[in-house]
Amino acid sequence: MSIQICRVVELVMRSACCHSIRGRSCLHKALLAPVCPSGLCVPVLHRRAYSLDSLSSGPGRPTLGSSSQQPRTERTSPSAALTHRNLSAVALQGQRRSLGQYDFLDLGEVEDNVRRAKACKKSRHFIVDPRLAKVVTQHLDPEDVKTVIFECNPGPGVLTRTLLNAGTQRVVALEGDLSFLHDLQELEGRLDGQLEVVHCDYFNLDPIGNGHLKAPAMFTDKLFTDLGISESSWTDDIPVKVVGILPQIKERSMLLKMVYALFERLSVYRYGRVELNLFISEKEYLKLMSRPGDMLNYRAFSVLWQMACEIELLHKEPWESFVKSKQSAPSPKGRSPHLPNDHLCLVRLRPRADLFSGGLTTSNALTLVIMIKQCLAKRKVKLIDMLNLWSPDTGSKLLSEMGMQEDILTGHVYPEEYLQLFQLMDKSKEFTQSWLYEEILENTLREGWG
Amino acid sequence: SSSSRRTGTEAQDMCEAALYLRADIQHCLFCLVLPSAGITAQCIKCPNVKTQDMTQRCMKTRYADVCPFISRCLDHMKQDGLSVDHLFSQCVFRQDERDMVLKAIRAIQPDYQPCLNLTSGERYSSLVQDFYTQRADHSYPKLDFTQDELRERFKRQLSVEQACTVTIDSVEAAKPVTKNMAKMRKLLTEKRIQWQKILLQALCEHKMTLANTNTKDYRVNLYPYLCLLEDREYVDIMIQSVAHMPPSGESLKILAGNLGNRVFTRYSVRQKYQNQMVEKLDKIYSIYTDLLAKETKEYDVLPREQWCNLEMEHSSGPRLQGGETSWPYIVTLELGTCMVDMMVKNLKINSDALNSAHDRKLIPILYHMYTFRSTRQIGFIKPHPILTQMQQEAMETELIFDSYVMPMLCPPVPWTSVKFGAYLLTPTKLMRTLVGAIQHEVLLEKCQSLHAVLDSLNQLGNCAWRINKPLLDIIISIFNDRGNDKLDIPPPLSEAPKIDHFNPQDPTYTASDKAQMKREMISAKKKCSEMHSLRMDALYKLSIANHMRDEIFWFPHNMDFRGRTYPCPPYFNHLGSDMTRAILIFAEGKPLGPKGLDWLKIHLVNLTGLKKRSSLQERLEYANTIMEDILDSADNPLNGKKWWMNADEPWQALACCMEIANAVRSPESTQFISKFPVHQDGSCNGLQHYAALGRDVIGATSVNLMPCDLPQDVYSGVAQQVEEFRARDAETGLKIAQVLEGFISRKVVKQTVMTVVYGVTRYGGRLQIEKRLKEIDEFPKDSVWDASHYLVRLVFSSLKEMFTGTREIQDWLTESARLISKSGYSVEWVTPLGLPIIQPYHRTRIQVRWRGIGCQSMMMRPDTVKQKNAFPPNFIHSLDSTHMMLTALHCYSAGLTFVSVHDCFWTHALTVDSMNKVPNHSKITVQHLFFYSHFLHRYSCLPPPQLFPSYLIKCH
Repeated sequence: MSIQICRVVELVMRSACCHSIRGRSCLHKALLAPVCPSGLCVPVLHRRAYSLDSLSSGPGRPTLGSSSQQPRTERTSPSAALTHRNLSAVALQGQRRSLGQYDFLDLGEVEDNVRRAKACKKSRHFIVDPRLAKVVTQHLDPEDVKTVIFECNPGPGVLTRTLLNAGTQRVVALEGDLSFLHDLQELEGRLDGQLEVVHCDYFNLDPIGNGHLKAPAMFTDKLFTDLGISESSWTDDIPVKVVGILPQIKERSMLLKMVYALFERLSVYRYGRVELNLFISEKEYLKLMSRPGDMLNYRAFSVLWQMACEIELLHKEPWESFVKSKQSAPSPKGRSPHLPNDHLCLVRLRPRADLFSGGLTTSNALTLVIMIKQCLAKRKVKLIDMLNLWSPDTGSKLLSEMGMQEDILTGHVYPEEYLQLFQLMDKSKEFTQSWLYEEILENTLREGWG
Repeated sequence: SSSSRRTGTEAQDMCEAALYLRADIQHCLFCLVLPSAGITAQCIKCPNVKTQDMTQRCMKTRYADVCPFISRCLDHMKQDGLSVDHLFSQCVFRQDERDMVLKAIRAIQPDYQPCLNLTSGERYSSLVQDFYTQRADHSYPKLDFTQDELRERFKRQLSVEQACTVTIDSVEAAKPVTKNMAKMRKLLTEKRIQWQKILLQALCEHKMTLANTNTKDYRVNLYPYLCLLEDREYVDIMIQSVAHMPPSGESLKILAGNLGNRVFTRYSVRQKYQNQMVEKLDKIYSIYTDLLAKETKEYDVLPREQWCNLEMEHSSGPRLQGGETSWPYIVTLELGTCMVDMMVKNLKINSDALNSAHDRKLIPILYHMYTFRSTRQIGFIKPHPILTQMQQEAMETELIFDSYVMPMLCPPVPWTSVKFGAYLLTPTKLMRTLVGAIQHEVLLEKCQSLHAVLDSLNQLGNCAWRINKPLLDIIISIFNDRGNDKLDIPPPLSEAPKIDHFNPQDPTYTASDKAQMKREMISAKKKCSEMHSLRMDALYKLSIANHMRDEIFWFPHNMDFRGRTYPCPPYFNHLGSDMTRAILIFAEGKPLGPKGLDWLKIHLVNLTGLKKRSSLQERLEYANTIMEDILDSADNPLNGKKWWMNADEPWQALACCMEIANAVRSPESTQFISKFPVHQDGSCNGLQHYAALGRDVIGATSVNLMPCDLPQDVYSGVAQQVEEFRARDAETGLKIAQVLEGFISRKVVKQTVMTVVYGVTRYGGRLQIEKRLKEIDEFPKDSVWDASHYLVRLVFSSLKEMFTGTREIQDWLTESARLISKSGYSVEWVTPLGLPIIQPYHRTRIQVRWRGIGCQSMMMRPDTVKQKNAFPPNFIHSLDSTHMMLTALHCYSAGLTFVSVHDCFWTHALTVDSMNKVPNHSKITVQHLFFYSHFLHRYSCLPPPQLFPSYLIKCH
């Protein structure tokens, strides 16, 4: 009973403070400190119980705690999950919350979150809308206990809390901006290991150039070692899911950098098939998904991603649903005359487990990347010309092996066909003499991010 | 022309007609010249009168029968507002066209005499008014040659330029020939003959195809451009470019541009012969030498004026000036692209040429591919590794250059207009700028008072040079040995780090091993290509110098779009590195005089980089204390104490040591004939300008603008200030400040301070400092990044503290430029000498598409970011160049030898003192006048800052 009393006190206090203009964090300290440790322990206990139930082969996570009084069915059935969300939404709107329910983390006042997001010094978009946070959470399959979720730049932490509320076992919040860090760390301290907060900018992992590395820039191996995540085989299950909003200003170069890392299995991909769940602009998404024959948009970048990943559009959300920091560049809406750009698209990029099964290795993958870039620099050239350029007189033989027309254009070849073609080339003796293999050294990735 | 089969000459005429003739004048020419010259054509304005009929009638009947036709033409001209005089002053006449037109007009107006007024409306900027109008005490220098010698030299230069290319021996020719080298050379020669044949055939075929192509296509039909030269010449140009191809390839745009330009140059040289211009040039130059030669009377006119007068006196025959218009950039590019295409398609080699283990296959020696830089993809042409290997192993001893790469063997033709000057036949631009920019040409042509600018260019070009042979021999010996990085003699590729090929499949390597090895390979490869380009650059310079070792030669000058002057020959000139500067001495010698030896010694101390804050007297005393080292360096440069090697500018220091040694050992040092250039360095002119503009007294003192007992050294000043900041931070426990203890020197900050005024950013400044710190062996390498980051901040804040006004003015200039650019204009201004300047930064880029160039959008929006960021430095550069030009003019009138490397002025040791009187004088004038001239157009948008109104700075 004492637990419930604590909750009542907390709830009352929170709603009383809702109108306060001051920051939430100090309020929490002031209010929760006297409420005693037991008040804090309880929700944690619940979740531990849950993890004990479903975590038969967990990746070494601590599974402490006693059994739960909570019926399991209620937690796992989707309808129940939905109920939880609805309830938390209700609570958010300042209405009375049913006391018998499982304890949720408060998402905070919307206005307050908006204000904090807007104050951010960097050009960023934020998820503040609880509805949106819930949609994203749903797509991330939070019940999956084996996967760690990396949340990039959580900002005020609406999605973080929603993820935790939905029962995610392990969330790593990578926040690059110091101004949000404190609150997140405070939240981390109140929980028991479900949330880890790192001062790190995911989109500035493994920066190029030399010199002293300062947070939030970071090397992947340090991040993963600190988090205790070890390398796993490519064909293993997905070890990490990354969720976040791709920074608008360097959208394309980030995507390129990531796909190069994927083919070389560097950076995060050293640790296995890391799945990205990123919000990217609609325009960029359409380019990413463009198909052979679309001579304007079918580029190396699309081919490489489509080759490497199963790509799924999870959700489309209008730009307006996101909160922009003041410094953000004006919304890129409608900038492209050819492609619509009214939304941010939540896209799942899940690396294919069989990518490296057919002869592609980390050492020849760069040659494949360069081949694709050379082929698609212009889409209306004949593939046979390119092949003959790399190794004279081999074009028609290769094409017939592939069962392709002699006059096929590079812009008409499917990504998987390119992969097959490369595997054929890589096996043939002629191509090992080709300058294409020499080219790797000069076309280093650093120059090729465009 | 409607004839069905086009011949080469007709195609040529098409080109000519399209490019050279403007509609009005074209009309006149067609009507007047062509009938009398007997050429078939049709007048565009009188379509029903075929000139062919006229010609036939001309031949049958008396000349007077065409009179009605001619008078009709004259009527047309009158209607269009063209006077007959206009025709004679504006029209470019070739061959005897001028005489023909005159004859035609005289058929109507028998007494007609063209009124020639080439130099009408001479208006001088008030800065140089006195220079041009009061010449009583001027004594212009003469060259140390007789008239016959100069004429002889002219003939030699003419033959060099006529050939268009020069073949010289490389300095590496001295190396012994190994068996492998001989084999490779033989192989290359064979291949080259084969390639020539193939290209010749390909060219013929290509022309055939083009001739039969319907020209309705919107793209330029290149056929006429492929008929301008002999087929053989096109092929030679292509083969030459294969030889010069760097192993890392060349961007298609640059390669195509070079090829197209070579065709244009050859074509215009040929045209000059065909138009009988060369005879006339010969005639005028021959009389012109009268002004320069030593045995003739003194003139009181400048070279340009003399040349103009001579042209007016000898007005019959072809006109020399303005005979050529350069081709539109796009045409040059397209022609070049077409040639590159031909090379890529046809030049092949057997794949087993070097390694018989490979299967025999014909593989192309050049291939087209893309490289990617940030978001752009750039078309690149790369040589096949086999070709590169062959070329490197063959080490061929002959180098083929375009003739303009060599210095001139006779004094250059004076610039008399925007379109005429410098080389005898090779077309040269007065103003070089970014490729494709044309606005400056329009401005220059409109500009009436370029005289002072042209005269200063002529003065710089008239200085005769020769090679410092003892020094050249030392340098070549090191170069042919193993090079020396410390002395800036690039080592040969044999000294390059080896690129180890590893088998990535090898299971013994771990992932991080492989990554590490790959990084090493990448950096080794990068190092190799850097070394190759440095080595080739030095090879070219030294080979040219060696070729000229017994010659006397001249560097014609032109300028960039800000008015900074440059010698035209690109590789070997006095603007180059320490090494090339050391090789060059004046051709003319002058006795040292009473103070000459002292100046040589002071110059030597300056070259060492020591004693920057000492007075001249102290520097001289210092030099006297180290005489032993100096003499030792001169006598045993490579085996002695090697004192000279530690100087800032070691090669020039060595040359100076030798000169001093010779002087002190001569019986009477004041009579010693010295050809050695002594430098007077402007102390950071950029800051001087800013300090003067901002009336910043303390700042001005530190850059020697204010009278002061000791010469001030701004770099040491900044270094000191930075050191103070550092010490303070170190005390508060800042780690990096503590690491830096004892490492802050003048050298570390110098480059950054110098370039700050020219707009270097923190980013660039950090790179500069990083480079300096890396050179310090004792400095911990892992702190370099932090330290450079920290130091650049200190340098910037020190400068801000020392030069209060600078930032403010810079900001004001930047803001003005931003507003101008935002309103859709490029920033333009006119220097105090009347040179119009326009910033050539625009949004549209011309892209070369592989196999054909796409339509280029003609919308030229100014690129605001570049316009605004570049304006302050460009503006300062333009002031700087004005200052230099004024100095050049005054030196000329005082009879001094004078050349400049931007803000560093060179003269004989004897004349240093008289030169030093000039700069200060003109400097005041520059700063003073600046406020009264309308230096910027469209400047109403921003009120100038408080600093600007009337000011005058005193200067000693």
